[in-house]
Amino acid sequence: MRKGGEGRARLLLVILIVTSLFLITLDLRGVKVLENFKQGTQTVLSPFQRAGAAVLNPVKNFLSDATQLGRTGNQIEKLEAENAELKLQLLNRKNADGQLAQLENILDLAGTAGYKIVNAKVISQGSSQSFAQTITIDSGSNAGIKKNMTVLSQFGLAGVVKDVYPNSALIQLASDSAFKVGARIAGTQQIGILSGQGNRSASLQLLDNSTTVKVGDVLLARGSIANRPFVPGVPLGYVSQVDNSAGAIAQTATIRYYTNFSTLGVVAVVVSGPTSDPGDSLVPKKPQVTPIPTVTVTVTPTPTANN
Amino acid sequence: MLTRQISVATPIFLLIFLIQEAVVSQFRLPGGGFSILMIFALTWAVLSQPEVAAVIGFSSGILMDLSQSASGPFGQWTLIMLLAGYAISYIGYGDDNIHANAIGIVFFVVIANFFVEIAYLLTGALLGVSIGSLGQIVITLFGMSIWALLVSPIMLPVFTRLHALIFDSRASL
Repeated sequence: MRKGGEGRARLLLVILIVTSLFLITLDLRGVKVLENFKQGTQTVLSPFQRAGAAVLNPVKNFLSDATQLGRTGNQIEKLEAENAELKLQLLNRKNADGQLAQLENILDLAGTAGYKIVNAKVISQGSSQSFAQTITIDSGSNAGIKKNMTVLSQFGLAGVVKDVYPNSALIQLASDSAFKVGARIAGTQQIGILSGQGNRSASLQLLDNSTTVKVGDVLLARGSIANRPFVPGVPLGYVSQVDNSAGAIAQTATIRYYTNFSTLGVVAVVVSGPTSDPGDSLVPKKPQVTPIPTVTVTVTPTPTANN
Repeated sequence: MLTRQISVATPIFLLIFLIQEAVVSQFRLPGGGFSILMIFALTWAVLSQPEVAAVIGFSSGILMDLSQSASGPFGQWTLIMLLAGYAISYIGYGDDNIHANAIGIVFFVVIANFFVEIAYLLTGALLGVSIGSLGQIVITLFGMSIWALLVSPIMLPVFTRLHALIFDSRASL
């Protein structure tokens, strides 16, 4: 009897393993059924994700603020008591203001370059269990979004549309390790390939071995044929470190993205590219130092009655 | 009996999946965060017989493959979770040091979580999935293990009660 039970368990295990391998094979061969199945699941999930995002956004902001507070060191003690009370009151307002500011900057960016965009809210940040960097937005094919469209944040490139569903879309962030984009350096127009590294840094490999790059150089997207997946001129980031190791075939550098991927609340999908290349017009302006007026106090001695 | 178990377990799995996708995924947690579905499945696998654990792993793996954040081919998580479920149940089954001890279960789940992620990386490399730099992988692996260590003890009473409700019907009656 026991022997029969063991045999049955083994048979079950074999069936399940074969089924898994069968699914992997089907997916690798590009069978549509599985894709449709996944798409259907996302269609069902997106209202829940939207509701989750609406409910949890204030909590997210609070946690984010708390983390930031932890880094400010000695100022915490002074401001903690005052801030804690005010923060609770301002959470909802701050959330809306933050998204509005992000949206305003995105519109500025898109307007300057002549991109036609569709704005969307981030409804899910994705999980790192699969070592992938993705987000889900609340607009999809019903809003005109298609696969392989450029996604902008308020500072520049955020990623590219990976999958589209009727009311949501999956965005592969530029920080994803599988992400690659053709880049050029503003000004010198040297070209290279930028690859994500799983965080806010990226790696740039120049294509021409006779060219050089220096810290602080700004990188822009080169653009693709028919503006998909990348529209030209989108700011990517700046060179934070140059690798000058001898013997390298082409120079490489570390890039710091302009976009902070962990604080994305609102993004824009470029549904139609510019009629002409915006060139270097989207290069972010360097912060200008505002001179602080010096206050001069002149003390005039007042004659006393004794004199 | 089997129909009852499946009909009760299915909505529980779907609910956990929904919580993972609609709530946990809202936060970009440092160190990669955690998967509540994986912790749930591994906890149940530790408590179950090997063949039941294999089915639990298979079901949770399918749901993990359906998640948008799954970057590998469909079926990769199914295969890994199925084997992980069977393996940890096979190792721990009949060992009261594990089953009768909450710390033992948590320890088993955390270790299993770590090895499941390594298995995902290895199979991903074989299947051509891009997985990023070594430094980032190490941070994510340890980050996820720490998250699993923090979350498992909190969720353990709920998960074990649900398991008892479905699989130990006589005891609860």
